[in-house]
Amino acid sequence: MIKRILVAYDGSAPADKAYAFALDLAKKYGADIHVIAVARPPDFGDDVETAAILENSVKHYEKILAPLKAQAASQGLNPHFKVVVGHPAEQIIYCAEEHKADLIVMGHRGKTLFERLRLGSVSKHVIHYAHCAVTVVR
Amino acid sequence: MTETWGLAALWLGLALIAVLISIWLRIATALSEIVVGIVAQLAIGTFIGAAALGADQSWIKFLSGTGAIVLTFLAGAELDPVVFKLKLKEATAVGLMSFLAPFLGCAAAAYYLLHWDFQASWLAGVALSTTSVAVVYAVMLEFGFNKTDYGKTVLAACFVTDLGTVLALGFIFSPFTYKTLIFFGASAIAFTILPWLTPRFFKRYGERPSELEAKYLLLCLFGLGALAAWADSEAVLPAYVTGMVLAGTVGKDHALIRRLRTLTFGLLTPFYFIRAGSFVSMPALLAAPVAFIILLVAKMVTKFAGVYPVTKFYGSPKTEAMYTTLLMSTGLTFGSISALFGLSHHIIDQSQYSLLVVTVIGSAVVPTLIANAFFLPRHLLRLAPEPEKHSAEQKVVAPQLADRK
Repeated sequence: MIKRILVAYDGSAPADKAYAFALDLAKKYGADIHVIAVARPPDFGDDVETAAILENSVKHYEKILAPLKAQAASQGLNPHFKVVVGHPAEQIIYCAEEHKADLIVMGHRGKTLFERLRLGSVSKHVIHYAHCAVTVVR
Repeated sequence: MTETWGLAALWLGLALIAVLISIWLRIATALSEIVVGIVAQLAIGTFIGAAALGADQSWIKFLSGTGAIVLTFLAGAELDPVVFKLKLKEATAVGLMSFLAPFLGCAAAAYYLLHWDFQASWLAGVALSTTSVAVVYAVMLEFGFNKTDYGKTVLAACFVTDLGTVLALGFIFSPFTYKTLIFFGASAIAFTILPWLTPRFFKRYGERPSELEAKYLLLCLFGLGALAAWADSEAVLPAYVTGMVLAGTVGKDHALIRRLRTLTFGLLTPFYFIRAGSFVSMPALLAAPVAFIILLVAKMVTKFAGVYPVTKFYGSPKTEAMYTTLLMSTGLTFGSISALFGLSHHIIDQSQYSLLVVTVIGSAVVPTLIANAFFLPRHLLRLAPEPEKHSAEQKVVAPQLADRK
C-alpha cells in the first residue's frame, strides 16, 4: 500500500512526467504527495557567490513549484512543497526518510559525462541508498 | 582609447569564458576566473608577450582593487548581527581557534619546511587561515543546523576567523606609526557612526534610480580604503568591518545587496580574479610541487586540528563533524586577496605567490572532493530502520546502510 509519495522535481521535462505519474498514483492509492526541489550550491564554492547562488536557486525553484500546485488541485490533490539545499541524491533520500515515504518518484535526466564521473547519476544514487521503492520516469 | 577598449573586450571575453566553464563544471566563478587568468597569461605570454594582457595597467588595477573591496564588504554584510551578539563568546573562541591553528601552523610550515623568510611565512599563515562563510552556511543548511545552537555558533565563528585574517593582513605587515593610530581612530569613529547614519540617510534619500545607496557605500569604502593605504595597511580590512557593522541595516536590504552583486560579479570581480590568476607562474609551480603539497597538507591538518574538536565538543556525530571540518578548509576570496597583497607589497616573490594561490585553489577543491567521495550521499542517512516495518527489498538495503554509518 502506498501512503506517501515523494517526488523529486527539478523543472525538467522528465521531472514533469514524473510529477504527472505521481499524481496519477496518488489518486489511485489516496496517497499524500511531498514534492521537493533541491537547490545545489557550487561544488567548489566561494564566499559571496555561494550565498547569491543559493538565494537565486531557492527563488527559482519556488517559482517553478508554484504552478504544480494548481495542476494537483485540478485533480483534487493537495501536495506539500519544499525547497531544500544540498546534494540532490542525498537530500532526496533524506527527505524520503523524513517523510516516511513509501515511494520516491523522479525523472531521469541525462547529465554530462563530466558530471556523471564526478558525482555519479542522481537516480543511481537514490536507487542504491533509498529505504523505499524508487520509480525513475523516462 | 582603442587599446583600452580592446583590452577591456579581451578581459570581458576571458570573464565570459570563465563563467561558461563555471556553469559547465558547477564550480565557483571565482575559481574558474583564477584558472582562466593563469591559462590566459601563459598562452598570451608565450605567443604575444607577457605585457599583452595588461594586468599592470592602472585602470585594470583600479577595477581589480575595487572588486576585492566590494566583494569583501559583501562578505562582511552576510553576518547575522543578532546571532553574532547572542553567540559572541562561543563564536569568538571557536573562530579564534579556527584562525590561529592554520595561521600559526601554515606560517611554521612555510618557515621551517620551505625556509621562507619571516614576513613571507606570516603571509602564508594569513592567506591559508581563512574559511569561506557561505560554503559553511550551505553545509549548515544541508544538515538543517543553521537554526541550531551549534550551527549558529559555527557560522558566527567563521566571521571571527575571517576578521582575524583581515586584521592580521591589515596590521602585521604595516609599520606601526602615527598613521596607524589615525587610521585606527578614524575607522573606529566611522564604524560607530555608519550603523546610525546609513539607514537614516537611505530612508531620507534612497530608493531612487540614481542609485544613491551604491554611491554612498562606494564613497565609504574608497574613503576608508584610502586611509588604510595611507597607513600602509590593506583596504579590505575596513571594507570587511564596514560590511559587518552595516550587516543589520544594509545587509538586510536584499534588493540593494542584489544590485551590488550585479555590479561586483558583472564587472569588478572578473578583473580581480583573472588578474590574480595572471600573476601565477606555471614554471615556478612545476619546479616546486612538493612545496604545494606541504602547504596544502599544512592548511588541511591545522584547520582540522582547530575545528574538528569544536564540532565534537558540540556533540556533532563523527561523519557530520568530518564533513563540516573538511568544507571549512575553503577560502578563495580572502586567501587570494592576502596573496596578492603580499605580491604587490613585495612581501613574497612570484614563485611564493604562485604556490599560495594554487594552495588556496587546492584548499577549495581537495577537501570538497574528499567530502563528496567519502560522505556523499550517505552522511545524512539515519541508522538502519526496524526490519519488520519494511519490505523484503528494504531488508536487503538496510544492513548496507548500517555498515556505512
